[in-house]
Amino acid sequence: MPPDSIPNHDGNRNVRPPQPSRGIFAVPAPIKALFDKFPLRSYPPNELPLRAPRHRNQHVLYAWITDEGACNGAPSYNPACLKWQAYLKFSSISFRIASANNHASPSGALPFLRPSSTDLQKPAHPISSGKLQKWCMNNAGDNKIEESDDLRYEAYLSLLDHRIRRAWLYAVYLSPNSAAIAEPLYILSTSSNSFVRLAIARDLRTAAEKELLKFSAVIDSDVLYSDAEEAFAALEMLLGDKQWFWGAERPGLFDASVFAYTHLLMDDNLGNGWVETRLRDAVKQRKALVAHRNRILEAYFSSAS
Amino acid sequence: MASPPDDDVFQRLRQKRDPAAAKKQEDELNARLHAQQHKAQERLAELVEDNTTLPVTISSVRVLNANRTRRSFLERVVDPLLSAHREEPYTLAEAIREIGGATDKLNRFGIFKSPISVFIDRPDPSNPSSTPTDIDVYLSAYERGNYTIKTGTEAGHSEADAYINAELRNLFGGAETLNAHASLGTRTRSAYSLAFDTPILSNPDFKFQVNGFASSTLKSWASHEEVLKGGNSKILYLTQGGHRHEFGYSGIWRQVTSLAEKASPTVRADAGDSFKSSFTHTWINDKRDYALLPSRGYITKTVSELAGWGPLKGDVSFFKTEAESQVALPFGDTGITLTAGLRGGVLYPLTPAGSNAPQQSRINDRFQLGGPTDVRGFRISGLGPHDGQDAVGGDVYAAGGASLLFPVPRVGKDTPLRFQAFINGGKLVALKGKSKEGQMDSAAVRSSMKRTMQSLKDDLPSCAAGFGLVYAHPIARFEVNFSLPLVMRHAEQTRKGLSFGVGVEFL
Repeated sequence: MPPDSIPNHDGNRNVRPPQPSRGIFAVPAPIKALFDKFPLRSYPPNELPLRAPRHRNQHVLYAWITDEGACNGAPSYNPACLKWQAYLKFSSISFRIASANNHASPSGALPFLRPSSTDLQKPAHPISSGKLQKWCMNNAGDNKIEESDDLRYEAYLSLLDHRIRRAWLYAVYLSPNSAAIAEPLYILSTSSNSFVRLAIARDLRTAAEKELLKFSAVIDSDVLYSDAEEAFAALEMLLGDKQWFWGAERPGLFDASVFAYTHLLMDDNLGNGWVETRLRDAVKQRKALVAHRNRILEAYFSSAS
Repeated sequence: MASPPDDDVFQRLRQKRDPAAAKKQEDELNARLHAQQHKAQERLAELVEDNTTLPVTISSVRVLNANRTRRSFLERVVDPLLSAHREEPYTLAEAIREIGGATDKLNRFGIFKSPISVFIDRPDPSNPSSTPTDIDVYLSAYERGNYTIKTGTEAGHSEADAYINAELRNLFGGAETLNAHASLGTRTRSAYSLAFDTPILSNPDFKFQVNGFASSTLKSWASHEEVLKGGNSKILYLTQGGHRHEFGYSGIWRQVTSLAEKASPTVRADAGDSFKSSFTHTWINDKRDYALLPSRGYITKTVSELAGWGPLKGDVSFFKTEAESQVALPFGDTGITLTAGLRGGVLYPLTPAGSNAPQQSRINDRFQLGGPTDVRGFRISGLGPHDGQDAVGGDVYAAGGASLLFPVPRVGKDTPLRFQAFINGGKLVALKGKSKEGQMDSAAVRSSMKRTMQSLKDDLPSCAAGFGLVYAHPIARFEVNFSLPLVMRHAEQTRKGLSFGVGVEFL
């Protein structure tokens, strides 16, 4: 094919003169020519409304975070969001964080990431948290983080994803903490109307209960907390006197996952402060985990506080 | 009919009757009856005519057959008729006019079978309490059934739905109505409502309504689904001159949810919950002869809404107003009509209580423009700001159109079918302003609103022209048009060629 020819799907087949298509719905050539003349005049596009997000040329992580928090890059108050926020920082990917809620997410849960896009007309597809690790690997360039291939990796990860997460759900949404933490963070921010808040509070509580009842027939706080205490003890053993988990040189996804819980549990200013402190105390006893949390906070979130 | 020579009855019965003759006979009979009726009516009219100045007093009004209707409710309607409650005596003509007025009022409650018949009688002269001028009035008002249940399916305009509607009529004997409606559809995914409606002071032109509803609507032009739950109450008032006023309060929990995969950042930023608490006022002055295909007359309409200001609370605060007018001019008696319409709207952000800056508009509240029932030649919500594929709406708009309608040859001007040639256009823009993450103070909002309004006439509006066929069915107007866009803005979505529109309001 000569270099100046028009690119064609047919590849190296003979380029035939354009033929009117035989389909019933196809537009005959003269009419198409007429249609193509319209519109007679075309202006530049309308400006977007003022609430429309700017900064389209930056990656944006949509997460549970207050508006002020979003401005100065503070840590998110939701463990799932904080995990990815920390991981993106570990990967040295520059991004903005934006306040959002579950309705905004394509998967129904936060966080998700909207990659930067140069063309306003073709916004990039959002990346849900499930695909975020792969996306980070592809976009981090030289800073790509290799996760440990230790056989016990999955087992330890499941401590976080099950035992600690369940204790967290109980501590934040069902225990007396719910009025001090879940309410100001997740409910009051949605609407100023009491009926709406009431409905959302009920939904949130039932969702947490349903999640916990998937694993046991009754919700027993003692069992949940003691499971979590054991899990934190196991994690501390695993970390030992190393800087990062699995003896890595830089923090990875596992460190982010641990940090997401340890930081929030140790945060004195989360919501209106902790009322029931059993889970929080379980972390505070673990000196190595506390040091690990502080190390990350200083290295990656120092500008925020 | 030729009768046979012998007079045998059986013979005659056996003989077949000539159908043409039978029909002729029937027609004659009908004509005779008709003439008789006509004459009787004339005689009655004459009688009334002769006695128009006859002084009468109405001593009693009796409403017959209205067994389920409250006495106190009916009294308010008929009491003003009684001479005991009037200072001036009646002439017969006045009395009949007044009685007609009361019957008309009863008719308009919609709870009686029409027509309501009126009888006038003289009271027994031997009754010592009666005077010689006394008449008694009897209104025979049969009530309609006390409930209706309707189910049905509707299809059209890229929407299909199935509905069930139940109405309880004359609930407490005062023309109160309770209406329950449920529908499931393709665009309006689901809608449920329960409405209570009652006339105030037995006045059919003065009504009070309370309405609770929940609905879920697919807004494919902006990649989301809007779930609404809320209620409103309003007072409806029809003035003597035919102006309709509605004052209402509504509180609605809105949820922008179920976003499409390709939803734009603007829609994502507005996803979630918001509560709107607002006062609304609607004014309609409709003087068109036939709303769906007017041949003469005009309509003016304004809708204003104040949300979230001061004690109203809620999550959104704005003042929103829309005005609309349409005029139809006939060309003599040719059946040719020129209709022209103009509409516009402004959404002005206000400062909510407890905040120091005006709040910028959300996608739920912004205007949308375009589609086969407003600015033809554009897709639904095809005009205005677009973020990617999503029509995100604007804060200020103006739109106008003119159509020339002429009768279809050989079908005639008496059918509701017309050819039309039209040109229509509009401009929908967002509030201008360089704001840091949407923060502006009141003065900045005022000046940018001014600039935005001025920008409406900066350049040509997006517009399209075309021709087509219009059919005004009693429940909706159908249009098939061929149109081409003349002026547009990039990212606006036009529709070249044929388009089909169904609706009750057109530009």
